[in-house]
Amino acid sequence: MDIAFLIESAVKVLIVFGFVLAGVPLVVWMERKVIGHMQDRIGPQRVGPFGLLQTIADGMKLFFKEDLVPAGADRVVFIMAPALPVITAFLALCVIPFGDTVNVFGRQVPLQVTDVNIAILWILGTTSMGVYGIVLGGWASNSKYPLLGGLRSSAQMISYELAQGISLVSVILMTGTLSLAAIVRQQEHLWFIVPQFFAFVIYILCGIAETNRAPFDLAEAETELVAGFHTEYSSMKFALYFLAEYANMMVVSGIAISVFFGGWHGPVLPPVVWFLIKLSLFLFFYVWLRATFPRLRYDQLMAFGWKVLLPASLLNLAVTAVVLALQGAK
Amino acid sequence: MTEAILFSLFSITAVFFAVNVIFRRNAVHCALHLVGVLLSISGLFVLLNAQFIAAIQILVYAGAIMVLFLFVVMLLNVRGESPLLTPGAAKGFGFFFAALAFVELLWVALSGGGSEGTARPPAALPPGFGSPAEIGRILYSTWLFPFEVTSILLLIAVIGAVVLAKRKFA
Amino acid sequence: MQETVIPLLAYQILAAMLFTIGIVGVLVRRSALVIFMSIELMLNAVNLSFVAFSKQNGQMDGQIFVFFVMSVAAAEVAVGLAILVAIFRSRETANVDDVHLLKG
Repeated sequence: MDIAFLIESAVKVLIVFGFVLAGVPLVVWMERKVIGHMQDRIGPQRVGPFGLLQTIADGMKLFFKEDLVPAGADRVVFIMAPALPVITAFLALCVIPFGDTVNVFGRQVPLQVTDVNIAILWILGTTSMGVYGIVLGGWASNSKYPLLGGLRSSAQMISYELAQGISLVSVILMTGTLSLAAIVRQQEHLWFIVPQFFAFVIYILCGIAETNRAPFDLAEAETELVAGFHTEYSSMKFALYFLAEYANMMVVSGIAISVFFGGWHGPVLPPVVWFLIKLSLFLFFYVWLRATFPRLRYDQLMAFGWKVLLPASLLNLAVTAVVLALQGAK
Repeated sequence: MTEAILFSLFSITAVFFAVNVIFRRNAVHCALHLVGVLLSISGLFVLLNAQFIAAIQILVYAGAIMVLFLFVVMLLNVRGESPLLTPGAAKGFGFFFAALAFVELLWVALSGGGSEGTARPPAALPPGFGSPAEIGRILYSTWLFPFEVTSILLLIAVIGAVVLAKRKFA
Repeated sequence: MQETVIPLLAYQILAAMLFTIGIVGVLVRRSALVIFMSIELMLNAVNLSFVAFSKQNGQMDGQIFVFFVMSVAAAEVAVGLAILVAIFRSRETANVDDVHLLKG
């Protein structure tokens, strides 16, 4: 482990960190503008050009709000809970390749914070650890509605984890490797969405449910259960939950891009630019869904996850396995 | 060198969290400290060339089983019991028996554990040791029968849990 | 850079310590949930011992055994917690010292 490797890793970590911190306000702005235009209104337009600084203004407002801890709440857990989804989102972002190997000062630097050879397992593990932030936030508030919202939300997340994992396993059967960098490299000629379209559909639906976004956002919507698990959170802790939600959206999009959409492959532009274009398209798709679909009721949501997506992903896995066996694959 | 540092770090956190599991009053705190133990042990697994098992430990144990524990703790709404430990002679017996067990385990470890024990130098690891490919290869060839039996066991557990959790109204 | 190999004895002692702490938890705590957690702690100590020996002998069988221990632990936790919920829903207490009569 020489010093150049340490510097290279530190720089990559800082780049990813900075990208998320700078990108989330942009995504929030885009969401408000896009939803506004889809609802035939303009959205934020006064703060900065085209309302670009609106999110910064909101962040500053949140910063100056009173930061309260409810009476009877468990102080340590209450303060620690919002950090957990952020930590797991950043950990998952570490293994997503956002570009091909570049040549910096004579070193070949892969544009990925670290290439773990069990990357898919790592991502599934960190996303399942992300449930803790929700369930602990709901419990630590010492109040009925957050507790119910937190339990519902985390039950939703663990239900959709299964179908998500199995849909990814169908792709792993085709690639024979768990490493995201290798999966991206194998998509040079054919993106995996073509043979594994159903796995992609299942994965993206599960991803939306995992991040508690519309139309699966019953547990945290403002009109349901007050505001779900983050009712009692104010100021920067609420901002941290907010950041975690958008960082998790980026994680799900990043994985979908790497596994199904060819990662950073693309004809003319440099690979990083292609990754960013695909990421923007995915985030736009997320926002488009929020603007378009009504919310699913909780029992509809759970029935959909267990009775539709899980059998569908298992069926997809079985069909993939049979086809690969018939083809005489290794 | 890094291995020694990481081992010391993970083992100290594992023991610290484990002691906290049994001595905290609030059951949710105990569960969170148990998650800390599981993560420390997962780190130790990585040091022992068991990458797949380490990932499965996080995925299954820390990510699913402990969430289930937390659900039940929150649903039962357990307030801290008082006094914390079993009163009277049972407490003394408990500590004594545990100390006895520890001495016995140490004795077995230090005496080399017979012919299969620590006396031999560590064997050379074949390439791909601990990788998912290797686990899959062995799991579906040598250990196929226990694997299938485990799937039946899990089915039985699911059915049992559903039956037990139903409200028994007449 | 020279490689320091952590001796197997270190892992054995660590596993013994964790196992003992688990035994203390089972024998001395009165809350059924914490007793359950101490049992999980004991299982994890055993898993650590298995994996350490697996590396010592260069054979993967120890890790496969840990795989099975984890599946059985998952099944046991699910059923055990369901039993706990069923018992303590009717008795309103999570204290094992109070559950000493078979009549429910």
